Amino acid sequence: MNVNSTQPLEYSTEQNRLNILGFWIFLGCEIMLFATLFTSYFIYENRTGSGPAGAEIFEITPVLIETILLLTSSFTIGLAVNAMRLGRTKAMLGFLAVTLVLGAGFLSVEIYEFIHYYHVGATLQTSAFTGMLLTTLGTHGAHVAFGLFWGLFIFLQIKKQGLTPQTANKSFIFSLYWHFLDVMWIFIFSFIYLKGMM
Amino acid sequence: MRELFPMKQVNGFIFSLLLTVIALSVYFLDMSFELGITILLITAFVQAGVQLIIFMHAGEGEDSKTIYTTLYYGVFIALATVFGSLLAMVWGYF
Repeated sequence: MNVNSTQPLEYSTEQNRLNILGFWIFLGCEIMLFATLFTSYFIYENRTGSGPAGAEIFEITPVLIETILLLTSSFTIGLAVNAMRLGRTKAMLGFLAVTLVLGAGFLSVEIYEFIHYYHVGATLQTSAFTGMLLTTLGTHGAHVAFGLFWGLFIFLQIKKQGLTPQTANKSFIFSLYWHFLDVMWIFIFSFIYLKGMM
Repeated sequence: MRELFPMKQVNGFIFSLLLTVIALSVYFLDMSFELGITILLITAFVQAGVQLIIFMHAGEGEDSKTIYTTLYYGVFIALATVFGSLLAMVWGYF
């Protein structure tokens, strides 16, 4: 294996470099996926039928908690990559663990939020608005749930194998994914919740 | 310990919290829809830029040109889809 030691570990082989590039191309497609969800949401935003409107069901507190949790987790995964580049395996694992705990916290609040929507009569079938709202939030939430398992498996692999070009590459790609989820949440926070409650 | 918390990332985090607070002003302060949506558009896109450049290291590595091209393409399609559909289906051309 041709390891280039002038580059950080996650970029050190040709395969690693291509993996990272490939993942960026995937993220480009994810941007388009969320764009179609936002499009449908904006079009159906006022088609509430006999169901509730956004301003009636959105609650600022859980949304704020979710935002802070996800923003902080995006910061800690950034610190994990920094620790990884310094070769500090323990610190890296610590930051990764904090990230996953914050992610789990985010998901718990989101599940609470979905239960709240169900109780106030905003389900997938209620109206075009609630249907698209839950689809958009649910797609983001499903990404976070998937990321939690992905991150957990990377955590276990690093614990077992240490930081190698492979595990470092996986961790870096996971950090890209996690930051991307944070970016999408910022758009959900701004253009679904805040716009809806304005 | 210090090297584990590089200034660049700490500042990026503080800046993104600040942007969140500014975005929140549209909820807590009384303002017109136009002003509110302008604030949200600015804070959301700046926030996305902070994440991409500070946290995702989009500009480093030899592939950064390809990465930015992919991103611009994705964002262009996203904006064309959202605003094109809104123009055709919501803003009066139906």
